[in-house]
Amino acid sequence: MDFESLKKSLFDAAKSAGLEEYEIFYTADSSVSAETLKDEISAFAYGVAGGVCFRCVVDGRMGAASSELLTEEEMKALVARAVSNARNIESDDPAIIFEGSESYGKTDMPEFSMPDAAKIKRGALELQRRTYAESELVTEGTQSYMFAGESEMRLVNSHGLDLTNKYGVHGAYVQAVVNRDGESEENFEACGEIESDKLSELPAKAVKGAISKFGAQGVETGTYDVIFSSKQTRALLSTFSPIFSARNAQLGLSLLRDKEGEKIAADCISLIDDPMREGCMVQTSFDGEGVATYKKSVIEGGILKTLLYDISTAKKAGVEPTGNGQRSSYAEPVTIAPYSFYLEAGERTLEEIAESVENGIYITAMKGLHAGADAVTGDFSIDSEGFRIRDGKICEAVKSFTVAGNFFELLKNIEAVSSGLSFGLSSGFTTFGAPEILVRDMSIAGK
Amino acid sequence: MFDKKLLEEVLGTAMASGDDFAEIYAERTRNNSIRFIDGKIDRINDNFLSGVGIRAFSGTRTIYASTTDISREGLLRCARSVSDAMGEGCAQISVVLTPTTVVDNHPVRINPCDAETKIKSDILKQACFAARDYDEKIAQVQGTLGGVDHSIMVANSEGLFVEDRHVRTRIVINAVASDGRENQSGGCAPGRGMGLEMFDIFNPTDVGTHAAKQALVNLGAGYCKAGQMPVAIENGFGGVIFHEACGHSLEATSVAVGMSEMCGKLGQKIANEKITAIDDGTIAGAWGSVNIDDEGNPTQRNVLIENGILKNYMIDRLGSRRMGMPMTGNSRRQGYTFEPTSRMTNTFIDNGPDKNEDIISSIEYGLYAKEMGGGSVNPLTGAFNFAVREGYMIRNGKICEPVRGASLIGTGSQILQDIDMVGQNLATGQGVCGSSSGSIPTDVGQPLIRVKNITVGGR
Repeated sequence: MDFESLKKSLFDAAKSAGLEEYEIFYTADSSVSAETLKDEISAFAYGVAGGVCFRCVVDGRMGAASSELLTEEEMKALVARAVSNARNIESDDPAIIFEGSESYGKTDMPEFSMPDAAKIKRGALELQRRTYAESELVTEGTQSYMFAGESEMRLVNSHGLDLTNKYGVHGAYVQAVVNRDGESEENFEACGEIESDKLSELPAKAVKGAISKFGAQGVETGTYDVIFSSKQTRALLSTFSPIFSARNAQLGLSLLRDKEGEKIAADCISLIDDPMREGCMVQTSFDGEGVATYKKSVIEGGILKTLLYDISTAKKAGVEPTGNGQRSSYAEPVTIAPYSFYLEAGERTLEEIAESVENGIYITAMKGLHAGADAVTGDFSIDSEGFRIRDGKICEAVKSFTVAGNFFELLKNIEAVSSGLSFGLSSGFTTFGAPEILVRDMSIAGK
Repeated sequence: MFDKKLLEEVLGTAMASGDDFAEIYAERTRNNSIRFIDGKIDRINDNFLSGVGIRAFSGTRTIYASTTDISREGLLRCARSVSDAMGEGCAQISVVLTPTTVVDNHPVRINPCDAETKIKSDILKQACFAARDYDEKIAQVQGTLGGVDHSIMVANSEGLFVEDRHVRTRIVINAVASDGRENQSGGCAPGRGMGLEMFDIFNPTDVGTHAAKQALVNLGAGYCKAGQMPVAIENGFGGVIFHEACGHSLEATSVAVGMSEMCGKLGQKIANEKITAIDDGTIAGAWGSVNIDDEGNPTQRNVLIENGILKNYMIDRLGSRRMGMPMTGNSRRQGYTFEPTSRMTNTFIDNGPDKNEDIISSIEYGLYAKEMGGGSVNPLTGAFNFAVREGYMIRNGKICEPVRGASLIGTGSQILQDIDMVGQNLATGQGVCGSSSGSIPTDVGQPLIRVKNITVGGR
């Protein structure tokens, strides 16, 4: 069933059900990936997926139903299910099918063309070959992976709003396993590129990272100054990003409730949300409800400027929505989330910042954030790896220790932000970015 | 779901490049959940998944393609993309399927996806109001009652042709306690491979009360002190320790490619002799049970470790080819967009010889981890971490004040040796395990155990 017949069938069913406000959100994705093991392609996958979500307002309440089975019959059933679901909602949250913003920004995504299977397979094999060539210590278990995917979405509603977006992502990763005298270590590195000349650093980075872990020792339990690597700062930002959702704040699930306009972080902290960041492969000019998106400062010089709002939470708070009511796939309900969400870089390099640390740890890996961190309380206690910092110099590898603290306190205690801002891979519309940060006096549990 | 002749043609097409095995997996899944927050039902999710995944093997190389287009043309196009990706060829492979009936060991009385919304919202509200009304410090309660009705079909070039249906239900209650300055949370999330009849076992009021009590305990708790100490880990979700520390390292996914610290250790003593650990996908109505795995093989009871000796791994079809060992009914996937791999079902440490009260009284100074949160593991090194959701200090053999923010870190091979007391109150807890083949329901379990020494992260 093509989109036009799907739309006709849903709109007809909506009209005969007597509905006045309704909306269709449609997504279609295709993906291709190749994985290597030893010197051959061990797995190759390709997929086509997608579906449609129908939302409608019945007696002031929003109902929704979604499906991947795109048949005439199923479309009729979808409308009936959405109506029935709306009737069972009790919440008085504003239910609005949006009429449209006055204007929408313009995305400017890097050119993307879906690579063919042969290119992805060649690319993954080449990456694997170069990873093995990096060092004689590289051993079995080492894997290289390359992927590409394309997504299309369309939002059409009873007010005549009709928005479309199309974007593609690709990338590669290397999981390097090294063995020296029976000791195994591994390291994972990812990169949002697939062209051979742009991937030249990936194998070296993965292998060097793994080798640098050899001989890592435990650390004594105590209080240390900690520098979080750019990647780990991104991981913290990602884990605690729900605290910036107005919905969580309104429900008392974020301690940033009623804190707009107040100082919540150190002076050196500025946090930006940008749906159309230059160079980002995934951009959008409208959110999952059809609201225009725009770039904004969430924290500026330590002051919380705004939370992130969808239509319903904005109406409750008496402010304008910020265009953060996201839906990255047809099956997902509207969820408040950021786009390119990043801490602005400072001026000093990592090495310059480390110079101010007498007794510290440079944390380069953290595991189990999904379990060891709680966005409601801000508490975290995370299994980590990294390097000791002694008298201003980054020294030997350390492992098997936890770093513990509270994210709300950490925000206030960040003493320095480095110049090395880097971004991770996108997940849906969200991409996190951060430089290294220095936090004094963190609790470390080790030996 | 599909005509047998069509499936035979599709399998033949997928093998046109001379592959030695092909498989079709089809799925139809209804996902239905109701959410409660701020005193009211505020969202109903209602999604229908429908699609097909086709896989072919040539030795240990695999090609996988998936599509939502389940028309005849769609299936054949998907199969052609598999054979094209494998290489050139026009082999004429004929496949003959033999339909097999699956015995349903997990019959369902009240399918949560068919039940009236009113019945479900009443259950959910009973639990949420019980939490909210438990104490005036309970500032927010969030709850979800979800049901999944998952029908699958597996057909392969060896002639296998089976269909199965698996229904599961879960209620998740999260309570937040606040004293105005700080928030602390507590939760309870029982689930079963059953319909709404699971609430004959779990009283919704008890579920809500459990979540509220835990949030209050944490609100009144100080931070856990960091350091190494003995830890007593309670039953139920405490079994996540075995799931993370050892279970993942026994999956063919990591063992078959040399990425596990458990490689080559069959028959060796890898754990204290008090430890017997089992993965059992057959337990009636359990959260991690299924009649057949996602390659169509019946699930089994697999003894992984017996009295400390490593007895078996969990092995899927690809793992079986790589390792030269039989499949164990452990192949699982979230759905048709995922290639299956070896995963856990219901995995637990069996009851041991020690009395529970002896375990607590044996500890002079340590941690009592009453309830665990989630965690993660690196199968290569066995390094694991997990969070303690509700913990208490033990002093002079007695459980004392509550502590929060603790985590346990260590390595699998070490903790298996260091579990030196195993109690007798085996119980399970429900989790959702994420790995390369997606998110799947798994049960973890154990009786109360003692770890003689482990690093406790705190502050």
